[in-house]
Amino acid sequence: MATEPSGSASEPVDVTVPGGPGPTGAAPGWRRALHVGGIPGFIVRRMLLGVLVLAAVSVVVFLATQALGDPARAILGRTATPTSLHALRKQLNLDQPVLTQYWHWVTGLLHGDAGTSLSANVPVTDYLRDRVVNSAFLVLLSGGISIPLAIAIGSYAALQRDRTFDVVTSIVTLAFAALPEFVVGLILVVVFSTTVFDVLPAIAAPGVRPWNDLKGMILPTATLVIAVTPYVVRIMRASMIEVLESDYVEMARLKGLPERQVLIRHALPNALGPTFQVIAINLAYLAGGVIVVEYLFNYQGIGGAMRDAVSTSDLPLVQALAMLIAALYVVLNLLADIATILVTPRLRTRL
Amino acid sequence: MVNRPPVRLNNLDSLPLSRRELLLGAGGLVLAGTLAGCGSSGSSPSSSAASTGTPKPGGNFRLGVTGGGSKDIMDGQTIITKPDQARLVAGWETLLVYDSQYKLPSAGGTQTGLAEEVTQDAPDQWTIKLRPGITFHNGKPLTADDVIYSLNRILDPEVGLFGGAGLASIDPKQMQKLDTLTVRLKLKGPDSTIADQLGQYYNGIVPDGYTRTGPLKWVGTGPYTVVSFKPGAQSVHKKNPDYWRTGQPYFDQVTITDFADPTAQVNALLAGQIDAMTDIPFAQIEVAKQHGGLSVLESQGGGWLPLCMAIDLKPFDDVRVRQAMRLIVDRNAMLEQVLSGHGHIANDLYSPFDPAYDTSLPQRTQDIEQAKSLLKSAGQEGLTFDLHTTDGAAGMVDSANVFAQQAKAAGVTVNVHNDPNYYGDQYLKLPFSVDFWGTRNFLPQVANGSIPTAPYNECHWPPKDSNYLSLYSQALAEIDQGKRADIIHEMQKLEYDEGGYIIPFFNNLVDSYSSKVQGFNVNRGTLNLDSFGHGYRTIWFG
Repeated sequence: MATEPSGSASEPVDVTVPGGPGPTGAAPGWRRALHVGGIPGFIVRRMLLGVLVLAAVSVVVFLATQALGDPARAILGRTATPTSLHALRKQLNLDQPVLTQYWHWVTGLLHGDAGTSLSANVPVTDYLRDRVVNSAFLVLLSGGISIPLAIAIGSYAALQRDRTFDVVTSIVTLAFAALPEFVVGLILVVVFSTTVFDVLPAIAAPGVRPWNDLKGMILPTATLVIAVTPYVVRIMRASMIEVLESDYVEMARLKGLPERQVLIRHALPNALGPTFQVIAINLAYLAGGVIVVEYLFNYQGIGGAMRDAVSTSDLPLVQALAMLIAALYVVLNLLADIATILVTPRLRTRL
Repeated sequence: MVNRPPVRLNNLDSLPLSRRELLLGAGGLVLAGTLAGCGSSGSSPSSSAASTGTPKPGGNFRLGVTGGGSKDIMDGQTIITKPDQARLVAGWETLLVYDSQYKLPSAGGTQTGLAEEVTQDAPDQWTIKLRPGITFHNGKPLTADDVIYSLNRILDPEVGLFGGAGLASIDPKQMQKLDTLTVRLKLKGPDSTIADQLGQYYNGIVPDGYTRTGPLKWVGTGPYTVVSFKPGAQSVHKKNPDYWRTGQPYFDQVTITDFADPTAQVNALLAGQIDAMTDIPFAQIEVAKQHGGLSVLESQGGGWLPLCMAIDLKPFDDVRVRQAMRLIVDRNAMLEQVLSGHGHIANDLYSPFDPAYDTSLPQRTQDIEQAKSLLKSAGQEGLTFDLHTTDGAAGMVDSANVFAQQAKAAGVTVNVHNDPNYYGDQYLKLPFSVDFWGTRNFLPQVANGSIPTAPYNECHWPPKDSNYLSLYSQALAEIDQGKRADIIHEMQKLEYDEGGYIIPFFNNLVDSYSSKVQGFNVNRGTLNLDSFGHGYRTIWFG
């Protein structure tokens, strides 16, 4: 173990380096072009793979949303009659073959046209714009606070292994990780807004963009920070402990490097690799819309939009949101892989 | 009508000490009284945190409404979600207005809506006389043309508005403008319920040429004009400076916010971020009451969640089976389990606020033995069938489950199906299903749900050999209220004895508001919060 400091981080990279030093000679020209070495080549290959993944996801999303039910029925509800159903289906192009519908949808997406929301009757992009920005703001705010915080706590806990700070951190992070977000959020609201103290707003100010309502952002952000930090702390602590026990850290110490330099130059970068992967997953999870938190604080994000869209069978809206969230996963994983490569010398030199 | 106070009704809202305050303390909580009194004065105050003092102008009234989403619309004549209701009443008004007992001022009396007078000249002819001096938000005076346009829009099947069914007897080609303020309606047949329909909040009066998205989209006569509207989120309304009721409204601004989650709504109210909320969860009522700054407003509602048996489908085509099902229900237990007791038990009849509601019919109670023997005589012992429901309105699924539980005692097995695609796929075609209704008076309700031409006749009522339809025609043609009530009683007796509805209870409307808001009163009706403070014009910040 001690000699494989970034074992877990190397896995996603291995998967995506096609062939490595294998039989590239037989490959056609375009494949050779893909085997450009170094970090730029890696990024290009990764992005192409991301596009492939998204194309596959688009098929799955499209087929899955067909199972949501008939949007024409959903729109008409109690007023559905055979004639009105037929007319609406025609209007929505639902009478065309599935393949044609898919093609219309994908080409539209590529042109930045995600269709028209069936329930709100406005372009999907207009309907989602503010909500996407709101969600992004909440994610950046919570991520910006929780990530440095978690890295610092996790590293320090590793250094203090089995001492009071470490033990307390372990218990607290385990407890927080076990609590669902809405419980954390409710406790915060009860303590700071309604019952114990009355110092913070209980919901995000309605009709105000979040950056103009920083006071109202405190509790939603705190809830998400508490939800995400424990995971990152625990993975950071674990990989830091692993790194601290490694031969090269021991070597650095034996060479008489100052402890500060050992930690920051040699230990920390190697420990960050696995942590980046966990951070990426967590950020993507946050960006996918933490519906419970949005509901609790009446926050206008994409989680609520997704729920609303599903319950009203608003196909274009569901599809657009699913694609958006899938794209976020792809991009964040790409960024995590790049960051892992950049901080891990062993992986960098293998490219 | 007997209880009508000897004051001009159009001043009722502005009188500091009206009958309303003697009857109903603001913030008072109506104790769930006995149901039998539905026809009489059913609400009695249990506390009197009185809303005394003169109304003060100013402030931004912030309301949180449960529900809403991308489907929200702003339209003077129809709604889809509950926030739409809250928005409609700020911007648009009806010709006639129901009073706090869900009664219209009697014929010939002074009306409180946009119409000064609405009279039935003949069984098939009505005349509407508008109040002079009312203007729309764009400055245009309200005239007969606007009324004709509004009624035409309601009746237009292409627009597909809910009010169309109730006003279907109006002949759209024969609406006649007698002068700038007078409209004569010729009917296709006799109909005594036109006034009732004109008082429904969704039959608002819009300006000539109005469409939901056109240049006149937000124009009405209401106390507030629309400043902004974002579906699923929020709308802002500004005081209409030219409003026709003197002195009203009091707020400078009204802000209506959608809440997907009632917990967030309660928290926002507790933290002072909103001033009032609709539909406080029953579990939170005690929290609100113990919190010093909040009041709870519980109004007797007439909304109902019927279990509907289709009288022409097996096994409910046998009247004995229907009667047995009605005897299986323990109404008090169901009310307790579904609504935590916040309602009144019902007697399988709708329209409890109608002056003609028959209170003399004995209250039906659970009788398992009788139900069993009815099933036995129908040869249907150990019956098993499906009950379809959906989350269309709060309580629909619970009602179905409680019924299934109660039916076990009579050896009946009920399989509950909760289907999200219920409306559209199977609605109105099922032998046994749950539905939801707001309240309206008896004959308008029949037009909507109990005759073959009704859009939502879940029970496929009436039976082929019944004289129900001829009674209905007679009632529509009868101008004399007393005689009409007698006919209605006959119709109700038929439904009471053989009908397909199981109506276990009527739900109350339970809302909460900050105690700094004054002027809320317990009100009978369909809309929350004292009909949203009568369109936010009879409430103010104390």
